[in-house]
Amino acid sequence: MLQTLPAAAATDEAPPRPILQLVGVRKVFGGFAAVEGIDLDVREGEFLTIVGPSGSGKTTLLRMLAGMDQPSEGNITLRGELINDMPPNKRPTCLVFQSLALFPHKSVGENIAFALKVKGVDAATRKKRALELMRIVRLPDNYHDKNVMKCSGGERQRVALARAFAYDPEVLFFDEPLSALDYKLKKALEKELKDLHRETGKTFIYITHSLEEAMVMSDRIGVMRAGKLVQVGTPEEIYGAPVDRFVSEFVGEVNTLKMKRAGAEWHGVDVPGTFTLSPPKDGASLDEAFVVIRPEYMRFLAPGERADNQLTGTVYNEYSLGSRIQYQIRVGEKVMLAELSRARALAPGASAEVTIGWDAADAFTLGS
Amino acid sequence: MADIALARASKMAPETARELRHARRLSVGARCALPVAVLLAIGFLAPMVAILAYSFATPRSFDVFRSFTLENFASLFDPTNTVWLSFAWSVGFALFTVAILAVIAYPIAYGLNAVFGRWAGFVSVLFVFPLFVSENVRLYGWVLFFIKNGVLDGTLKWLGFSGGPEVLYTPGVTLFGMAYTYLPFMLFPMTLGLALVPRDLVDAARDLGAGRLFIWREIELPLAMPGILIGMLLTFVLAVGATAEAKILGGQSIIVISHDIEIAFTYSQNWPLGSALAVVVSVFIAALTLVALSKLDLDRMLGRR
Amino acid sequence: MAGISRRSMLQGMAAGAGALAAGPLLGTGSALAAREKELNILCWEGYNSAQVLDPFRSKTGATVKAESLTNDPTMINRLRAGEINTWDLINVNNPWARKVMLPEKLIKPLPKAEFEPFFAKMLPEFKWPYKWAMSEDGNDLLGMVQRFGPYSFVVNTDKVSRKTAEETGWDLFNDPALAGKYGILESDDWNVFNIFVVAGIDPFKVHTPEEMAKFEETAKRVFKGAKLIGDIASMNQALISGEIDLHLTGGTYSVSPARADGHPNLRAITPLKGPLAGGKGGISWIEVTSTVNNPNLSPLALDFLKYVQAPEVAHTVAFAEGTFNPVAQMGNKACFDLFTKEELDAIQWDSLEEEMARSVEYDIVPDYDKALDIMNAAKRLRG
Ligand SMILES: Nc1ncnc2c1ncn2[C@@H]1O[C@H](COP(=O)(O)OP(=O)(O)O)[C@@H](O)[C@H]1O
Ligand SMILES: [Mg+2]
Repeated sequence: MLQTLPAAAATDEAPPRPILQLVGVRKVFGGFAAVEGIDLDVREGEFLTIVGPSGSGKTTLLRMLAGMDQPSEGNITLRGELINDMPPNKRPTCLVFQSLALFPHKSVGENIAFALKVKGVDAATRKKRALELMRIVRLPDNYHDKNVMKCSGGERQRVALARAFAYDPEVLFFDEPLSALDYKLKKALEKELKDLHRETGKTFIYITHSLEEAMVMSDRIGVMRAGKLVQVGTPEEIYGAPVDRFVSEFVGEVNTLKMKRAGAEWHGVDVPGTFTLSPPKDGASLDEAFVVIRPEYMRFLAPGERADNQLTGTVYNEYSLGSRIQYQIRVGEKVMLAELSRARALAPGASAEVTIGWDAADAFTLGS
Repeated sequence: MADIALARASKMAPETARELRHARRLSVGARCALPVAVLLAIGFLAPMVAILAYSFATPRSFDVFRSFTLENFASLFDPTNTVWLSFAWSVGFALFTVAILAVIAYPIAYGLNAVFGRWAGFVSVLFVFPLFVSENVRLYGWVLFFIKNGVLDGTLKWLGFSGGPEVLYTPGVTLFGMAYTYLPFMLFPMTLGLALVPRDLVDAARDLGAGRLFIWREIELPLAMPGILIGMLLTFVLAVGATAEAKILGGQSIIVISHDIEIAFTYSQNWPLGSALAVVVSVFIAALTLVALSKLDLDRMLGRR
Repeated sequence: MAGISRRSMLQGMAAGAGALAAGPLLGTGSALAAREKELNILCWEGYNSAQVLDPFRSKTGATVKAESLTNDPTMINRLRAGEINTWDLINVNNPWARKVMLPEKLIKPLPKAEFEPFFAKMLPEFKWPYKWAMSEDGNDLLGMVQRFGPYSFVVNTDKVSRKTAEETGWDLFNDPALAGKYGILESDDWNVFNIFVVAGIDPFKVHTPEEMAKFEETAKRVFKGAKLIGDIASMNQALISGEIDLHLTGGTYSVSPARADGHPNLRAITPLKGPLAGGKGGISWIEVTSTVNNPNLSPLALDFLKYVQAPEVAHTVAFAEGTFNPVAQMGNKACFDLFTKEELDAIQWDSLEEEMARSVEYDIVPDYDKALDIMNAAKRLRG
């Protein structure tokens, strides 16, 4: 029986002991390291999302956690037990595939009850349980005998989820399960998934290449790049304190300006002028730095208005982002992004020359 | 196409004679397809029609299209006619061949898909290669292998054994020859069928706790079934029509049905009887194929419906 | 894969059935075509070899097509089925020309004056007017003779001595001790003759129901007892390897290649006595080549008939690929001298005359169809 817990146990106490622990995990495919040097503690009951661009090694990592591949180096432990070589059918984990991997020759009910059939549960009990799970994932009862390939994308998603739940795993893995769905359905399912996570109290490890998806659902986010885990933290930490340009740019559209130090001053490399920088997060002393400014922190300066740093350029494009409008402003060779709420939008045909600026505290200074 | 054009024209009741003429004319596509259609009709249909026509001709005559009789068919179904024996041998041997090949080809097909890795191409070529050598030549090769003082017998004697088994010119070796000849026809559809089983599904089943046998029974086998059944059907149809194995390897220890047809066309010079036999066998195979294909609902098996 | 095989299957079917369909349709349009440079021959294996045809091709510049079949009725039925306009020459065994093809107007007589001189140079038994070359009434010359030979059965003399074989004769195949040790060379009409003879019955007459019953019983037993049935190559291979000790149906025509290949222990046997006319023990054949009653006969047909009678060509015909046989022109010294000792040995020249003398000549079985049906049914009971 799938137990329904109250909201996940308090996170403000001492961090719960890790359910999964990865130490120095590496996976090599014929000389090419798809995953490298991964150290990660997965906390019991958390919703951890791994994001990264396509090809960064997310699936490879997940397959090792699920037992479908073995690490070339390093250790994976589950509640302290080394499970590097434990086959997937012996692990208390379950993976929801990117392709969903539903059994096309089986009905919705048969798909969901597959794990129960493996265990030798009788048909009547299987059906009862399948119907329970279908209710949990919000599938109508009459879908029990429906051919799974006749279901819509969202319905299949739910079947895959229910099928994984039927196995009653301690940890559930998701490999970009929503990537093929349209935006609205994706949003709805993200919410449902989050709800299910809370209701079941299971540990979820979710993979996506969309940070937006990660931000909505996760307790913690790990960012992967070229096989390495670059940063692990809460959504706030990832958004507010990216460790490098890659993370910051991955988190959303940003303005990045390269700077060079000359004595006590910072000179722009892409744009002319001298700039005031906030100190780098780790306090390192740098000769070269990147300043990252999110478009929403970039202000349009009225005549006489001031900011720590200023640039003058021409507006050459604007995009509606719904309630906000994004402007592309050409400063020399560089294109900067700035946003305004629709209410304060620039008048059409207003002078193309604008001055934009930001305060040092609103930007990150990164070494790489 | 012309039919469609005509049907539409009649429904819309063309206003003018010109329109009507236009509607009657063959579309460009139909006209372009005409030579191919004619060729197909001559190359494929004509022989069939000839066989059919001959089967109704006076026995032992060449009065095709000039005589009509059911005598040939009557004599085939005459209870004293032993031709059913040949038919039984052919069908029986074909069934055995299919059964043997299903068991032999499955592991190879599995290996080609999941085990041999980059050697798979090479292994496939090994199985395809013999197809470039005439079947008879290959079978004579086996005769040389099995014959007294041949490769097997000679080698065993040379090694100090009493000699090889006396298998040549027996029904058993005929079956061996058929299994050998038709292996590729079972193997490749089967390999294709197994290749159609997505790797993810097997991984998913395993992830859900299933063991190898359970996965094989519940996932691999049902999903590979279209390929397997097509392989079986193909092998069966080919094996029912096989003669060379029974003749060359089997030394005619059994007479198969297509050999009987051949005898009727050659030695007996009874083309009408041979044609009638060919018609009966073709109808049997066609009926079987149609039944099998209708049972073999590809869409359902692949879950497209 | 499947595509290829299906296509080749279809092609095979189309080719096979196409030939069948083309039968009655062929030749309707070609009647008016000029045929000076074209010659089509329907023959037994040997005449279709390049050794025989190529010199004629280069001499005349003609397109010569020869199709070999292994059965007289098959060839004759090709003509009956409408291919009379296609073929120029037909080469079959002795009785067909005078007894069947001429009465059915499938062939036409040769100009006697042009061909009579060739007979003068032949072996004595072919002296003019040679029976099988002439029409029943003796007025017309129907064809030219060339290859011939005794055809009864073949033994491995290491296993069954020539003496035993000749004295025991056809009863070898009635001997239960030899069951499973003999093969049968598949050759429809000859098989029918031989089963009759093994049954102690003269094949070349109308048979009583009792005789047919005996034939059936014998056919079932003889076929059941055979280790294998197959073609000439299979028989020789099985004899050489020791799979079988002897085989029913066969003679110089079938065993000569194996003898030439270094297996003189394999030998065609003509029994000393048997149930054939005059108590003779064996059956022989003589090939007769006739001109087809083609309304547009190629003028090269007669040239070819003369060409193959020339001493060198006759020798080549005798030793064409696949089968080696004596030829009538061996009566001509110029031709005979071309044969080496080994070649004479291969065709059992030493005993040829006496074996021919002990044999009746190939003839037509009046109730052949019935006997053949019985025999084919008996074959099925082997398994
Ligand atoms: N079985 C494999 N053999 C070789 N290379 C592989 C294999 N699986 C993945 N890779 C490579 O490893 C890298 C990471 O792949 P993957 O884990 O699928 O990335 P992601 O899921 O983040 O898109 C890619 O470059 C991919 O080509
Ligand atoms: Mg992936």
